[in-house]
Amino acid sequence: MSEEQDNNKVVYQAQSSETMGGSASPSPDMDYVRPAEIPEQDLYHGHSFITKWVFCQDAKVIGVQYFLTAVFTGIVGLILSWLMRLQLGFPEAAGFMTAEHYYQFVTMHGMIMVVYFLTALFLGGFGNYLIPLMVGARDMVFPYVNMISFWMFFIAVAVLMASFFVPGGPTGAGWTLYPPQTILEGTPGSGMGILLMLISLSLFVIGFTMGGLNYLITVLQARTRGMTLMRMPLTVWGIFTATVLAMLAFPALLVSAIMMTLDKILGTSFFMPTIIQAGEVLEYGGGSPILFQHLFWFFGHPEVYIVALPAFGIVSDLISVHSRKNIFGYRMMVWAIVGIGALSFFVWAHHMYVSGMNPWFGFFFATTTLIIAVPTAMKVYNWILTLWRGNIRLNTVMLWCLGFIVTFVNGGITGIFLGNVSVDVPLSDTYFVIAHFHMVMGIAPLMVIMGAVYHWFPLVSGKMLDEGLGKWHFWITFLGAYSIYFPMHYLGFIGVPRRYFEMYDSPYMASATGMNEFISMAAFIVGAAQFILIYNIIKTLKTGKKAGQNPWKANSLEWYTSTVPPEHGNFGERLPVVHRWPYDFSVPGAKEDFIPQTTPPSEVVHTKVEKT
Amino acid sequence: MADPKIEGYQFKPGFKGMASDTGSDQTMFKGVHWGKAMMWIFLLSDTFVFSCFLISYMKGRGSTLIDWPNPSEVFGLHVFGVDVPLLLIAIMTFVLITSSGTMALAVKYGYEKNRKMCGWLILATAIGGLTFVGMQAFEWSKLIHEGVRPWENPFGAPQFGSFFFMITGFHGTHVSIGVIFLFIYAYKVFAGHYDNKKRGWFTSMKGDYVEIEILGLYWHFVDLVWVFIFAFFYLW
Amino acid sequence: MTDIKEKEQTSTHKIGIYLWIWGLLFVLSFFSYMVDWYQFQGFLRWSLILIFMFLKAGLIMAFFMHLFWERYALVNVLLWPMTAIACFIFLMVAEFEYTLFSRAFYFVVGGGVQ
Repeated sequence: MSEEQDNNKVVYQAQSSETMGGSASPSPDMDYVRPAEIPEQDLYHGHSFITKWVFCQDAKVIGVQYFLTAVFTGIVGLILSWLMRLQLGFPEAAGFMTAEHYYQFVTMHGMIMVVYFLTALFLGGFGNYLIPLMVGARDMVFPYVNMISFWMFFIAVAVLMASFFVPGGPTGAGWTLYPPQTILEGTPGSGMGILLMLISLSLFVIGFTMGGLNYLITVLQARTRGMTLMRMPLTVWGIFTATVLAMLAFPALLVSAIMMTLDKILGTSFFMPTIIQAGEVLEYGGGSPILFQHLFWFFGHPEVYIVALPAFGIVSDLISVHSRKNIFGYRMMVWAIVGIGALSFFVWAHHMYVSGMNPWFGFFFATTTLIIAVPTAMKVYNWILTLWRGNIRLNTVMLWCLGFIVTFVNGGITGIFLGNVSVDVPLSDTYFVIAHFHMVMGIAPLMVIMGAVYHWFPLVSGKMLDEGLGKWHFWITFLGAYSIYFPMHYLGFIGVPRRYFEMYDSPYMASATGMNEFISMAAFIVGAAQFILIYNIIKTLKTGKKAGQNPWKANSLEWYTSTVPPEHGNFGERLPVVHRWPYDFSVPGAKEDFIPQTTPPSEVVHTKVEKT
Repeated sequence: MADPKIEGYQFKPGFKGMASDTGSDQTMFKGVHWGKAMMWIFLLSDTFVFSCFLISYMKGRGSTLIDWPNPSEVFGLHVFGVDVPLLLIAIMTFVLITSSGTMALAVKYGYEKNRKMCGWLILATAIGGLTFVGMQAFEWSKLIHEGVRPWENPFGAPQFGSFFFMITGFHGTHVSIGVIFLFIYAYKVFAGHYDNKKRGWFTSMKGDYVEIEILGLYWHFVDLVWVFIFAFFYLW
Repeated sequence: MTDIKEKEQTSTHKIGIYLWIWGLLFVLSFFSYMVDWYQFQGFLRWSLILIFMFLKAGLIMAFFMHLFWERYALVNVLLWPMTAIACFIFLMVAEFEYTLFSRAFYFVVGGGVQ
């Protein structure tokens, strides 16, 4: 190895003296970037169809594989939500659906959307595609492990989907899988359904750990020359921090899944108290259901930020590029991401105010929950200040970003309500909670995903998505999502409980029947509107106009690959050398309104460029 | 390990060094091999797994109304007509620490490219690990013979058996995986795969002696977890 | 201490340091076994167990896993996340005490009912 490294050093030295203007003098030149310290990565190039497109070791292909699989599960989740809304809005039209079915759909919708759709899409999809490109690496550092990671995820999805077809159907315990009812008879899918769910989650965790190690080490150890941590795009920061959270939070999920599996098949009593079922005392006794809730939410709360942080990062980049202005307070944004990530491990029991835990915890967790609102609010201010007096281009991407900011603020403010114990107790388990988390971690990250798809599709495929269709897609989704979730806040305030199959004839429900029907109609329309995007993608792939290199005039490295779309190895002969952050837009004195990260300082001497 | 020489980079000690390493380009952990950094992060994640297990155990044991069995008696052995508390566990600890020491030396000789010595020490480590797993199997069968089951046991709180089998089982799985890899790497060292940089069977990446250190990190971690299990489960 | 710092310049460490740590680990394990042998009870037992445990864990991590020689960037990345675990432990101690209290209160004493 050492011999090879030496050879590389010679090559890089030549390169660096080249950038120093041919002079080999050691005096630090303006454009000096120190030589490469890591040897050129050894890449495995696939030759057959199987090694190129199926068991592929190229992070970009793996990213697309993750993306497509996650979108498939997302569509399943969408159909389940339609069925739920059909039951809630028009119960007479949903005669085929029993209460058991409804609970199963609720559970699977929740689990699919949080874990198998959003997490996989952001970290597996965008992470794999963008991290190596944005930090200037040839590929992820362990391509083989990366490939295994995707296939573990694929098997996890297959196992999850298989649970629809086993006797008893999938589990219907709610996505939080709270014991004891999860594994007791009477809960739908308490046989094979819950087992397959737990196995699938364990597989997901194992697969994700493999992927997560790749993302972390690629960001930490495989950046290109000149790429310091504080020159990375915020997208990478968001995905990186979310991956750190995932690596530390998923263990708690794995442990609780293992323990519940043992409770189910061996009859241990980790989580199971003494229970009388149908007049009969069960074998269980002495376990603590609260323990599961603590373990689950020790995972579950960081999970919220695993979904939110990549969205924060991506939206920062999109806003900056499409308003042609540097991101306001870049360092503050980075530290806010890191701070939110760190704090997210100290807030978990705010999901458990009504669980019967130690009453003193309410104080501790309400305090930490309100503290975490500070860095989050800082980010919102910074996005708005980035837009302030920017050269805003009101294209589809920007519309999604603006939609995100509004939705996120909305969901965030209801979060302040729910973070306080005394307000949460009457509101918990009502539609207010549903409205809150769908706004803040459902719709808001989804808007970012949509914006990101419109933004990076030209890179992935080389073709521009249709703007007209995109705007229809946005407006229907945006207005529709508000039609769905705004009324839900009200439903929560009048006390409509979540997870109920049918509201029967409660007096307060009589006033809400019309509202329920309205919400359901909106949900059908919004769901259907998502297929506009799929149509748009298919249409664009067939007849779309060519994008060319860097259609948005962005600065970050992914737009400066040797070919569009980038091939295996990303950057052709030589890796790019980075001299600045990716946000040099509209710099006074510069010829164009953007300065790519690879532009050396000597070319922009007369501009008022930020020193980064 | 020791600071390597890096062209154009000034190493500084302590927190100043940390600041300049973090602020520099290309790598944050200067001179740390990708695989080694990966193993460290993986171990951090695995630490959280074992921490969650042990925290659950603490919660279970702390809140039970039925008395927790006295581990000193339950795990005692009756040898030569005397009751010795925790004898088997003490021997298991001894074996695991011995294997940890041989592994540390194997890493050292690996870096010195002493192929023979490195190979033999890895083999010794593997045999130590195998002995440990064997003794654990003996311990399990003894307890099962005495009526301890995951769902009940004759000594007290039923959670005792549940946590015992789950935690030691999970640790034992880690040891077993480690033993398998130790044998594989012992073969690879003896066959000289690291001296002639033979490509891996699956990953088709070139081999290097740093892999021995990565394996060593995993093995020491298994030992480390045992230190905590020994203290919290057997002694407490 | 200074001795070790000097050795940092070479790529491997002298065999002596490993043998020393190895020996210390045996001694500490023996001590923690003695805690059980002499049946110390109460606070003394717990504090001794914890002290020996942390010493052993520290020695393994610092020397066998080379953390003592690693740069602070790596060391800090590895150790700071442990605060989350520390918080979890701390809160779960409070939680099991509360669970024990409520179990004793409702199952043994019989709750607030006369």
